[in-house]
Amino acid sequence: MLREIGFAMTAAGLMAASLAHANQNQLELQQNPEYWATQLGNYQGNRYSELDQINRDNVGELRSLWQFSTGVLRGHEGGPLYVGDGRLYIHTPFPNKVFALDLEDEGRVVWSYEPDQDSRVIPVMCCDTVNRGLAYADGRLFLGQADNTLIALDAETGELLWDVSNGDHTVGETNTMSPLVVHDKVIVGISGGEYGIRGHMTAYDVETGEQVWRGYSTGPDDEVLIDPETTTMLGEPIGESDLGVSTWPEGEWERGGGAPWGWITYDPDLDLIYYGTGNPGTWNPEQRTKDGEPADNKWAITVFARDPNDGSVKWVYQKVPFDEWDYDGVNENQLIDVEMNGEQRKGLAIIDRTGFGFLLDRENGELLVAEKFAPETNWADDYDMETGRPNVNEEFSTYRQGVGVNTTDICPTAMGAKNMQPSAYSPKTGLIYAGINRICMNYEPFEAEYVAGQPYVGATLTMMPSPMENGGMEGRMGSFIAWDPVAGETIWEVDERFAVWSGALATAGDLAFYGTLEGHVKAVDIETGEELWRFKTPSGIIGNVNTFMYEGKQHVAVLSGVGGWAGIGLAAGLEEPEEGLGAVSAFAALGDYTKLGGVLTVFALPD
Amino acid sequence: MTVFNGASGRTLILTAVLGLGLPLAGFISPSVADEHRVTGEAPGAFVVEDGRVDPNTYEGYIAYTRVCMACHGPDGLGSSFAPSLIRAAERRGWADFAGTIAAGREVQPGQVMPSFADDPFVLANMENIFSYMRARGEGGLGRGRPKVIESMEEEAEALREEAEALEEEVESDDTARDKQADD
Repeated sequence: MLREIGFAMTAAGLMAASLAHANQNQLELQQNPEYWATQLGNYQGNRYSELDQINRDNVGELRSLWQFSTGVLRGHEGGPLYVGDGRLYIHTPFPNKVFALDLEDEGRVVWSYEPDQDSRVIPVMCCDTVNRGLAYADGRLFLGQADNTLIALDAETGELLWDVSNGDHTVGETNTMSPLVVHDKVIVGISGGEYGIRGHMTAYDVETGEQVWRGYSTGPDDEVLIDPETTTMLGEPIGESDLGVSTWPEGEWERGGGAPWGWITYDPDLDLIYYGTGNPGTWNPEQRTKDGEPADNKWAITVFARDPNDGSVKWVYQKVPFDEWDYDGVNENQLIDVEMNGEQRKGLAIIDRTGFGFLLDRENGELLVAEKFAPETNWADDYDMETGRPNVNEEFSTYRQGVGVNTTDICPTAMGAKNMQPSAYSPKTGLIYAGINRICMNYEPFEAEYVAGQPYVGATLTMMPSPMENGGMEGRMGSFIAWDPVAGETIWEVDERFAVWSGALATAGDLAFYGTLEGHVKAVDIETGEELWRFKTPSGIIGNVNTFMYEGKQHVAVLSGVGGWAGIGLAAGLEEPEEGLGAVSAFAALGDYTKLGGVLTVFALPD
Repeated sequence: MTVFNGASGRTLILTAVLGLGLPLAGFISPSVADEHRVTGEAPGAFVVEDGRVDPNTYEGYIAYTRVCMACHGPDGLGSSFAPSLIRAAERRGWADFAGTIAAGREVQPGQVMPSFADDPFVLANMENIFSYMRARGEGGLGRGRPKVIESMEEEAEALREEAEALEEEVESDDTARDKQADD
């Protein structure tokens, strides 16, 4: 551990000379293991902490120090930031309040901020009024409001420094994501894939809020910021120009979705940001065919590697061409350095919506591994490693089955085998830890008509728990897994009654933490998954477990407050997978276990 | 036009009920253990027979699952986002139910029901959705996609054709409108 910290400090020192001021500050902060300065813990998205004061020997004694109610009911995603100034910075779902809480004084409110937003934005948020949290650099906090206003606050006082509009909610654009600060820019995407928006990623100047660049997810190359001669796909130049237009039926790219609403990661050495784009517009695949044939609908469900300075695209990898299941490709791209066949590779690992665990080379986008982490996954048998395309199973192709046909028992659901809940990676074990969903669906496409600001969905879905495995928990809808991203196999798995919708944390104390929809925070042995500690918070957890050191003590903190897509979809319980099979009582309703309400809980070991 | 077509669909169902020689009454008549029906011309009529339903109620299920389920949960059960519509249909009655769909409602800050006044699909299916909700509540209809009562399947086919014709009409209206706009 000491050696790794030493390396991190050296790297920070080298960076300082070449990079702009704000970036130097964020990089330094995130390399100090005492802080939790960015939502995913570091630029690489590893959600790993070097802290080991809390470990498998003493975690059983972990207790809550204090709790703080945010006064907001809806789903609380994201988590608190700690940057060493004695305060925790937290946020809420709509109306997007921000609080600075004093760690010295059991969470006393140092300042709070509440934006004034049009409540008409609420009905155009598909999956609850969630927000994935604040970003910080150089004394400024950045927040993407639901109504698309990006703001900078003075972290000391809570005073508004600047605000800028990043989108228009009257055409269905909204914001749920956490921005990321890279160099002197704050970068943010957009939500609204269910409203026929056209996705974009945009960079603003941290000092002034002035727009620096915007790269769209669909459309002509000069708006996507692709150069077909230099931008690569599976290691080769794309060659053909304007695929973001030509792989759609006439004009459909203009409402082609590809909303990048998940997490952004960043490699400071390669100076590239990485993110994935969402579903291609309407969920009815028939409306996205070209000349009666499936079309790729580029660049929806695609991993983008962009230069953060000008937005230009270095490489792309489309995980699902011609989506037929709403497998939004926005899940986090974890940057991990791995050894593969005796060679060191700069890897990029994804626990994807599709049920596949991907490993790519993050320098050139080459596909290295694609294996199922959710064994029930049946929409595709496997991936062709040459073409990078899935071998789709006809039986579960909603396009082949057709409009007005209810294609049944597709696994996973549109929620994905994993949704936005960010995974963790331990460099000690080389494994990824992730909360996942074990749910399947029936899917019936229908003709959707585009009206600006109205839902543009075009499919009817029902969901049920995925089929049982030997020895698994009956009717379980989620699991927490340890995944080997190089071997492409699950090392251990713990079943949970509900989908696991909280972000994971891995620590040098040989622990992995996660939250459950019933409201438990759990610590498990990182080697085996054995549960070592749990605490019941007042509501279900869809936030992320974060850790930091304050006055010589390691703290763990988490926002609870059920909601999100899980809070809507699972509240009433799911249907039985097949009539007459299994106990009805096993397919539990979330509403029987937890109710709404946002609370921050802070933990530490006793003195 | 839309409303008229919806009403003619309703007439079909009344005929079918008469054809079966069952009493027409404006209330539930649980004369057979697995049979529930509300008949009459008022919105909200339904037939549930051995877990199967009349074609309008079936269309109500489809419309509900397309449009309402995202917030109100599967099978009308409600979610953390929006309340159960089964109870809403029972407590509020048709006028309030339809009024809320058309006008929307702001329950409290952070909880907003949008207006569907501009959505022809929803407007055309309001009565069917209401029937489905009453079938789920008073009618004791279970969860999931119901099947249509076998003797009514022909009618269901006629309804589907009618719905398709309506959709085409809406589309051609749109085309005409677009054309006008172009002119």
